[in-house]
Amino acid sequence: MRNRLSTLWDGRGFDIILIGVPLAFLILISGAAILYNVIMSFQEVDMFSLGSIIRPFAGLENYKRILSDPQTWPIFGNTLIFVLGSIIGQFVLGFGLALFFQQKFPGSTYIRGLFLVSWVMPGLVAGAIWNWLLSGDFGVINYILIQLGVIDTQIFWRSNPDFALWSVIIANIWLGTSFNMILLSVGLSAIPQDLYEAAALDGAGPLRRFFTITLPMMRATIGALLSLGLIFTLQQFDLFASITNGGPNNASNVAQYWAWQLSFNEFDFAGGATVSVLMIVIVVVAAAFYVRSTRGEVRG
Amino acid sequence: MTNQSIRNTILIACALALAVIYLFPLYWMYVTAIKTSSEAFASPPIFIPTHAQWQNFVDVWQSRGMGSYLWNSLYIATLSVIVIAALGSGCAYVLARYRSVWIDVGLFLILMLQVLPSSLMVTPIFVGFSQLGILDYPRLATVLAISAKSMPFFVVLVRATFMSVPMELEEAALVDGNSRMGAFFHIVLPLARNGILVSAILIYMQAFGEFVYSKTFISDAMYQPASVGLNTFMGPNTVEWDKIMAYSSIYVTPILAVFVLLQRKIVSGLTSGALK
Repeated sequence: MRNRLSTLWDGRGFDIILIGVPLAFLILISGAAILYNVIMSFQEVDMFSLGSIIRPFAGLENYKRILSDPQTWPIFGNTLIFVLGSIIGQFVLGFGLALFFQQKFPGSTYIRGLFLVSWVMPGLVAGAIWNWLLSGDFGVINYILIQLGVIDTQIFWRSNPDFALWSVIIANIWLGTSFNMILLSVGLSAIPQDLYEAAALDGAGPLRRFFTITLPMMRATIGALLSLGLIFTLQQFDLFASITNGGPNNASNVAQYWAWQLSFNEFDFAGGATVSVLMIVIVVVAAAFYVRSTRGEVRG
Repeated sequence: MTNQSIRNTILIACALALAVIYLFPLYWMYVTAIKTSSEAFASPPIFIPTHAQWQNFVDVWQSRGMGSYLWNSLYIATLSVIVIAALGSGCAYVLARYRSVWIDVGLFLILMLQVLPSSLMVTPIFVGFSQLGILDYPRLATVLAISAKSMPFFVVLVRATFMSVPMELEEAALVDGNSRMGAFFHIVLPLARNGILVSAILIYMQAFGEFVYSKTFISDAMYQPASVGLNTFMGPNTVEWDKIMAYSSIYVTPILAVFVLLQRKIVSGLTSGALK
């Protein structure tokens, strides 16, 4: 008995406690929530049955209802545009900045690090600032664009259905570009310099070197980063809450925001759970790609 | 000037220009915050205010009751970080120390839990917590949800730190007669202290700005954090932009100050963890 107890501080038991308690905590909250979510999506849930665990079984009724809702496909389409637009914007701008800061000069790492303030800011504050920057009448972005001759008249970014989704995408690109830049910088500095020197001796120009050395050597980083980008954009909620609220008329709504609205604005908890289940499946597939792309390092 | 120093000057100028463009939204927040309402809506916009006034900060602090909001943000973020650091550090240590199928399974689980979007988890957690009565303590409910959401990220970051602690030191301590627990607390944890601290600060910043769970769980304004307060302030057709930017400045400045001070450490902690 003494031996068994003493492993708690001097053997296997110690490790099992260290890892068991946090895993139990995570499984109790996140794991149970996922399971509960799936169950709720097959039940009838309303304000009255919210407190009870046994509820009428609804079969596939919720899924049929959500999938035949005329708003569903436009919202899922928006989600796709939001994800693609955000990831491409963040990645291209982040890569450009990372390449620039790869030129070593005094203070480069410090200035580069400052960019990350966009990423550590509360999403809601970033949303508030962009809401103001993009406002139609008095927004400074409209003013700058008109001065530069890019547009003739003011764009009502948040209330015009053609632009509402893009106003959130622009804010999200700003938010995530610095994170992309930092991770791409790490990948860039891991490429051995003599590869470039050898290629330059062989007469390869900068473009050629970029496509034959930089891109192939960065494949793992890029893979990890794109799947992280997908995960982060599917998590984005705060910007929608503070810029457009999904409006006008769902023109800028995406699935993760709609799921919340269904539950907590319309009190359709079963509908919210159903949309969540559909989305979580997508997120988990993306996560599997991320885990795969970092697997080599995970095994150490 | 030598060629080298000319090149450096040009590059620094370009870097600063890029930083100025990128950080312009932040500048605009601070500039708007010190304008009067009529200046905020001036056309053409005023880029460098000549009549800076600080009244907005005082007004907003008092009229919006920011003291209570910020206190709640501190409360929620601090408790969350304590739960996360206490539970997550040991978990990260075990995951870093061993190689086996079970460790791989645990790691896979952690990575998967890291990616679940809060806005999709909030419905089942809300209903579950309300059935268990946890929603009667709304700030505690928020802390639990944030902890579950952010702990996997913390574990991933801190695991990278533990990997860089040489195992020989721990083995030497065991040979000298330390117990496993003693070696962990006296040798390994102190060596990993910096990495744990940096990750905890990163988590703290996130928790300080958390919104989804707080908005959903906390209906009583007395317990709401600053993010929910800002959301209430904005409303659909708001015109008080100078005030809103003053609110945002008060809210975000402590975070930015911590970040600028610890920038180098935070960036290196982040990059060592996120890709591994």
